[in-house]
This record gives sequence, structure tokens and C-alpha cells, in this order.
Amino acid sequence: MARFIVRSLISAVLTMLIVSAALFFFLEVGSGDVTVKILGIESTPEQRASYRTQLGLNAPAWQRYLDWLAGSDWRAERAVGLPLVTVRNESTDEAEWWAERDGELVRWTMRDGELYQLTRQADGSSVESPADVAWQEGENGASYFWGVDADNNAVMWMRGAGETVWVRTKAGFRKEGDGPREYIPLRKGLLRFDAGKSLQTGRPVSVTLWPRVRNTLILAGLAFLIVMPLAVFLGVIAGINEGTWIDRVISIGGLALTATPEFVTGIFLILIFGVWWRVFPAVAIFTSPNAIFEKPMLLVLPVMTLTAVELGYVARMTRASMVEVMEAPYIRTAAIKGMPRRRIVMRHALRNALLAPITIIMLHVNWLIGGVVVVEAIFGYPGLGSYIYSAAIFGDPNAVEAAAMLLVIIAVATRLIGDAAYMLLNPRIRYS
Amino acid sequence: MSKASRIHPAVLNAAGDHREGKMNRREFLRFATLLGASVPVAYALAGCGAAPAAEAPAAGAPAGSDTGAEAASGAVKRGGTWTASMQLQLLDHPARLSWVEGANIVRQMNEYLTETGPDNITRPLLLDRWEASDDVKTWDLYLKQGIKFNNGDDLTADDVIFTMGEWLNPDVGSSMLGLLGSLGSIDNVEKVDDYHIRLNLETPDIAIPESLFHYPAVILHRDFEGDIVKQPIGTGPFMLEEYAEGERARFTRREDYWQNGEDGDPLPYLDELIFVSTDKDAGVAALQSGQVDTMYDPRPSDFQALQGMPDLTIRPVSTAQCLVLRMRVDLEPWDDNRVRTALKMCQDRAKILQLAYFGEGDLSIDAHFAPIHPAYAEKPIPAYDPDGARALLEEYAAEKGIELPLKVTLATKNDQNEPELAQALKELAEPAGFDITLDITEPGGYWDRWTEVDLGITSWTHRPLGVMIAALAYTKESIGAWNETRWYDDDFTELLNQAQSTLDVDARRELYSQMEDIMQERGPIGNSFWKNVWNITRSEFQNVVAHPTAYFLMADVWKDA
Repeated sequence: MARFIVRSLISAVLTMLIVSAALFFFLEVGSGDVTVKILGIESTPEQRASYRTQLGLNAPAWQRYLDWLAGSDWRAERAVGLPLVTVRNESTDEAEWWAERDGELVRWTMRDGELYQLTRQADGSSVESPADVAWQEGENGASYFWGVDADNNAVMWMRGAGETVWVRTKAGFRKEGDGPREYIPLRKGLLRFDAGKSLQTGRPVSVTLWPRVRNTLILAGLAFLIVMPLAVFLGVIAGINEGTWIDRVISIGGLALTATPEFVTGIFLILIFGVWWRVFPAVAIFTSPNAIFEKPMLLVLPVMTLTAVELGYVARMTRASMVEVMEAPYIRTAAIKGMPRRRIVMRHALRNALLAPITIIMLHVNWLIGGVVVVEAIFGYPGLGSYIYSAAIFGDPNAVEAAAMLLVIIAVATRLIGDAAYMLLNPRIRYS
Repeated sequence: MSKASRIHPAVLNAAGDHREGKMNRREFLRFATLLGASVPVAYALAGCGAAPAAEAPAAGAPAGSDTGAEAASGAVKRGGTWTASMQLQLLDHPARLSWVEGANIVRQMNEYLTETGPDNITRPLLLDRWEASDDVKTWDLYLKQGIKFNNGDDLTADDVIFTMGEWLNPDVGSSMLGLLGSLGSIDNVEKVDDYHIRLNLETPDIAIPESLFHYPAVILHRDFEGDIVKQPIGTGPFMLEEYAEGERARFTRREDYWQNGEDGDPLPYLDELIFVSTDKDAGVAALQSGQVDTMYDPRPSDFQALQGMPDLTIRPVSTAQCLVLRMRVDLEPWDDNRVRTALKMCQDRAKILQLAYFGEGDLSIDAHFAPIHPAYAEKPIPAYDPDGARALLEEYAAEKGIELPLKVTLATKNDQNEPELAQALKELAEPAGFDITLDITEPGGYWDRWTEVDLGITSWTHRPLGVMIAALAYTKESIGAWNETRWYDDDFTELLNQAQSTLDVDARRELYSQMEDIMQERGPIGNSFWKNVWNITRSEFQNVVAHPTAYFLMADVWKDA
């Protein structure tokens, strides 16, 4: 069993690597210029080029993939020459990067062509003083300095380069030949649990992703808890009453529900319960972060829609399995020796009949998580599905990657649980 | 459904309205500032002796003795929450905004120097007044005094100059940089005193007040560091409590806002604003089921779906948004004006408006100037004339030695009812001898080639002044950028240059009239109608205005519940 789990984990990690690399390069090739999406079509080519540099998008794709995977602080540290550390900012709850010099945490900022040093105080604020740094000689008599700026980038500042850039001053802007030239956005990389910043939201992916994951897990989990017992119950009832009117009603009803796609069921449920009768909220309007707990009624229609689609499939699967088991010789033997029917079904038939559906059910957890995309779209439900969809449309690699990695983990975990449940139900099966 | 009265596109009856008591003195004063930018005498006409700056802190309040036409005090109610459905994305630097939804968030807590109203007239907001020199190259902006940011700091010229510096900094990436091309660089912004800023333009520009209300142009605090969510400091009526991308934004009322309501206390009336991020389909369902109070920018299909709901009020407003039927004048057969004119004659405008936009708009002439533009000169709407078009086409065909029907391909996108327009035109143009093949793609597919197709339907957004569009799309300089038809005309350019430095609206109307004639006679576009947009809000909300660019102006909205 232990070996089986280890092997599963190794294959999971490999899957994640392959999926992440493939996704990264597909997004690289497939999506257009993301700076146009952020700055709008009225922005000038110079503005876009500048913004690309600030986002670190001018680095080659393989380098950005490695940054995403393992972090960029390695190469930034080499440039800056100081250890770079992260500190949690209490007020924004986001990680900040600082350079550690002589036991102090420092960053830099440039104003009017002068570099200033920001020294972090114990309370999280910073004190500004003229920077005391060693400028290095660059080309054409210009000098440069690598440091950390206030926006979590390693930045190369240039002095005396003679190019024209705008430099911010207290009362506006002044033309200067000096300013930031190169940026390395600082990140720890996924291997150290930093999914990076989303281009679409400008915030760390983890800040926006977790509420979505929570919402989807609640929706899918609730649907699962309702569908599976109900479907198994109906399937068993139909199976032991094979050929009777109960069986017909359950089978045909299940088939009809499965055959109706969720966007049809969903729209009808919205119209009937949300718009005409107004008994349940029509769509999932989250007016507060925890709306899902404050107004659980929001979940009624999405769960009903998922239930309708899932119910028939699992019920029919259970029914078929039950019918087969009920015709087995050992069931007939039990009946002939006079065992009560209820006891036959509960003690002998059910356990064997559930073997087939249990695999289907566990595979359907994945389907539920992925398949809620449509349901989330219909109901405007802020979940993982709509997150991936909008991130992919926007061309936001960090967000897509993080969500995809989660889906891989969920897929692997449900498979493991499914296999374990299978083993418990059928002691003859051993994995090694 | 109750339809609120539509704002009439004709905007210049204000003085008459004032005399007849339809417009109060404050309104007229603001209007007078608009016209009187170079004619300060207008103040005297308004019969206002007091220095405008002195009444600035209460400028938003009606001066009680004015007209008596104001609603009785005490009629308004305070309190309540307003919920809207609108997509929310990246929001950090307001100057960098490239989407109106984000501006609708920012405008609740930050304000603009000017404000273009639903009637398309631009008035001072944070400014007390502006003055332009006769050559329209020097603009003096006078700030209202006594306006405070929500952190207690006074609004001064430093904040304005800082903000302008952000617009003009290429590293910020603001679309204001392109819009204020006449300003050039921040060196041309001069601080005269704490409440007086002078813009020394490099080229004449009459659109400065309108540009100052372009949606990224909110005024920021001078210490702003680049992320408005982390530093929610502004002069506006609401304070940002929560912003979660793709989820929601929540605002609460500010206690010491500078404008007063009808009851004499500071605005706003509402306690709380909540924006919930959903797509438009979910927004419609949420409006129908009563979960939200309004939605951002309903599409025509949403308008159809929501029409007739008993507890919703639909407020339409005229815009300068249109679907332009544009022809590449450097390519056959559109290089021949007879063919262009023939196709223009094939527009049965009323029918097209009905088929493509449910009759919700204003009929247009074949020029890119809208009745809602202040200097628009009224022209008769051309009639549908397939016989006349056929005669022109036959003449062209005989000359070229080709057979009718003339086969052409019309490209457009499946976005805002363009396919309906294209289909209608195809059928209307058939008797005239056009055989139109439709080439309809997804919006992204069309935007990749919108300047390249030889015949296309392009959607154009609203711009408050006609010269702004003409300069963008119908000059020689704009070929390669926004000039999708490659059309330019020396007479037209000459008139346009004059119009761009003519501040007087009546004088400008003379020029517009000639430009409209030129575009109708030999221009590159057909234009059947100007779109309406709608504000659809639950009926208990009062003072709601429908804005041509779908802005939510919430300071004096109140809830009658």
C-alpha cells in the first residue's frame, strides 16, 4: 500500500510538471500581447514596451517558466549582491521583499535622479535616508546599481545614461536621464508555494484563488453529498424491482435528466424558481465574502442543477450492477434457504453491487469539479471554473497554472481515495 | 414599466430654459462657464454678482432662493444600499484604466476636474471654472477651494499637477497621454498658485474640458504610490471598504463630502454601494429576481429581456455611439464616389434601426457627427432610394464594362447587433444592384483586421465632441492608426483645423455644417443611426441618470423605500 501511494505521488508530480510546462508554452504562443489588454488599445507602443519591462515579460520564456517554478530570487540575489528576504506586511497581508544589509532590511527608491534608501522599522513602516550605495561603472560613462524597489522587483537603476525618462517628484514630474532600466519581479516559485502574481488582478494568485476553490469545493461537495446517496438509493430500488413500474419510472426519469444538458436545466430552474416564483435566488450574487454561509439559499439552484445531471447516470449504473448481482447464484441460494429478502439485499447483494459504481463515483468527483464550469457560468457563481475560464481568456499564465495544478492534485487525490475505497469493499484486490 | 423622459439631444436651449425657469441658476451658471470660458461676461448675463469661488463649498447644493422649482426639502430620504452587477478586474493605478467598469469603481471615491453630463455638456466639477485664451492654446484652470480628501488633506494644485504627471509618464501607461497630445509634456503645466493651474498647450485644443473627464482622469492625492486599492484616498462621496477582483467592491458613505444635498446636509444620500462581479447574463437574471438593483451597460438583448418588468425603470439616453458602414477609399470599387453614394442610398434608416436595434436610437446622416455633439448642425435624414442607387451603379458599371450585380464582401463582428445590420443592408441593397456576401467573425477576429477590410461595419464609441472623432479617423495623419477608410479631404481638413480652435459653439456649428455636407456628399461612411444606451434600475431609486458612456453617477441618488 505504501509503495502504491509513493508511486502515485511520483506520477502526480510528473503529471504536474508536464501539464505546467505544456500550459505555459501554449499560453505563451496562444495569447496576444497582454499589455494591450491591461493598458487598452489606445496605449502607445512605447508605453506597452515600458510596461512589459516592468512586468518582467521581456525575459525569455524558459527563464520565466523557471522563475515560476523555482523563483527568481536566486538570480536577483546574484545581481543585487545581498540576501533577499520576504516579510509579511501586516496591513495588506501580502508578502514584501527586502534586501538584508548589516542586519537591516532595506529597499530603494529614486526621486529626481537621487537614490534614497528605505529602512524597515520594527512596526513595518520605513524610514527614508539618502542611499549610501556603490554605483558600478556601466557603458558610455553611465553607472548602475541593482537594488530592490517598493513594488517587489529587483531593479537596475541607471545614472548618467543620457536617455530621457520621466521621473516622479513631489510636485509632478521632471525630465531626467536617470531611472529604472531593468526589472526582475521577485517571487519564490511554485516549489516554495508561491504561485506568483496574477496579471489580470494585479494581486497574488493565492489571494484570489483560495476563495474560489472554497466556493467550488462547497458547491461540488454539497452536490456530491446529495447526489451520491440519492442516486445509489434509487439505483438499488430500481435494481431489486427490475421490470416493475418503479424501475421504469426511475430509469426513464434518470435517462431524461442525464440527457438534458445542465445549461438547459439551469436556465429553466432560474426561470421557474428565481424569476417567476422568486422562492430561491436566481443567480449567485455574493454581496459579501462569506455570502455562501450567510445566505445558503444561494446554493439551492446550482446544487439542484448539478444533482439533476449527475443523478441519472449514477443511478442507472447502480441499477445495472444491482440487477447483475441479484441474478448471481449465491443470491438465489440465499433466497432458497429462506433468508429474508431485506437481509439478502443489505448483507449480501449491496456490497458487491456497489463495487462498480464506487469507481464511477470517484471519477465523477473530478467531473464535478471540472464540470461545474458550466453551472458556475450559468449562475454567475464565483468558483474555480469561472476563474480558470477568465484567466485563460485574458492570458494570465500564473493564474491558469495555479488553478491547473490544483485540479491535477484533486484528480490524483480522488483516484487514490477511489482505489482505497475499492480495496476496502473488495478484500481480494491488492495494489502493489 | 415607466420610461423616464429622454434627454433631448439639442443642448443649446439652456439660456431659454433658464429664463423660463426650467433650469436653476446654478445649472445655468455652470452652463455659462462652459460657453463663457473665453467670454467671462457670461457671468454678468447670469446675474450673478458673487465671486464663484466663495460659494464653491456649497456648489452642489441648490441656492435655496433660486427658482423655487426644486423639490420641497425633506422629500429626499437618506440611507439604504444600492447593488449593481458589473465585471471587476485589475484595479491599481486609475490613470492606467482601460475599461469603464474600473472607472465606475474609482469615480465613487475620486473625482474629475470636469463632468460631462448625460446631456453631453461638460461642466466644472472639482474646478470652479476654466478660461481659455483666444487662440485656445492657454487654458487656466481654477480649482474650487475648501475641498478635502477623505484623509483630511486639502485639494490643491499640487494634487492636480501630480496627477497630470502620472498621465504623461509613459511608464504609467495612461491613455491620457495620447488624448492630451496637445499638452505634450508636464513642463507645459504651470502652477500659478495653490488653486490655479495653467496649461500651455503646444497646439490649440478645444477639447481640454472633455478630456479632463476621460475616464482614467480622476484626481489623485499627491502622495499616491500606484495602487488605489491600498491607498483609497480621494475627494469623492464614498469610501472604498473592500475590493476583490472578480468578486465585489463595497463602498460606504463619507460624512464630510463637499457637496450638500437638497436637505442641506452633505451628500451622498445612500449609505452603501455594492458592486458584484458577474457576467451580463447573470446580471439580467439577478435584476429579474430582485438580487441586484441595476446592471452595467445592458446590451440590446438585455434591454429586450428586461423591458416590461414592473419594478424596473428604463432610462434611455442618446449617444454618439454608432455602427459605421465604412468603405476603403483606396480600394476598388469604393474609390469611386458613385459606388459609395449608391451604397449609402441603400440604407432604409428607420427599418435598419428597427431591425438592428429595436428602434432604440436616433436616425443619422452619413457623417460621423451626432446630434448630441454640442455644435451639431441639423440636417435632413436621407431617404431610402434604391432606384437612384441603381442608376449610379449602372453608370459606374457601364464605364468599367462590368455586369451588375456588383459583388462585394461586408465584414463585421458578432458583438453588438452588427450581424442584424449587415443582413438588413444586404437585402435593402439588392434591388440597387449590390450582391453582398457577409463575413461575420467573433469580435477579436474583426478587431485584428478592422482597419484592413475593404467594406466593414465598425462599432465606434461615444466621444463628447465631434472634432475628437474627426481628428482621430478622417485626416491624412491618422492613416495607419485610426483612419480605417484612408479617406481625407483637403476642404474637410481645413474646416476641421478651424473647428479645433473655435471655442464659440455657434461659430463651430457653421463649420460642422460644412463638414457634415462634405462627408454626406463624398465621405467614406454610411451611418444609419446613433445607439441609445440604457440605465435600468429598480424603480425605488431616484435621481438616477443614464449616461452616454454608462457611467454610474451616484452622489445624489436616493432610495425611496
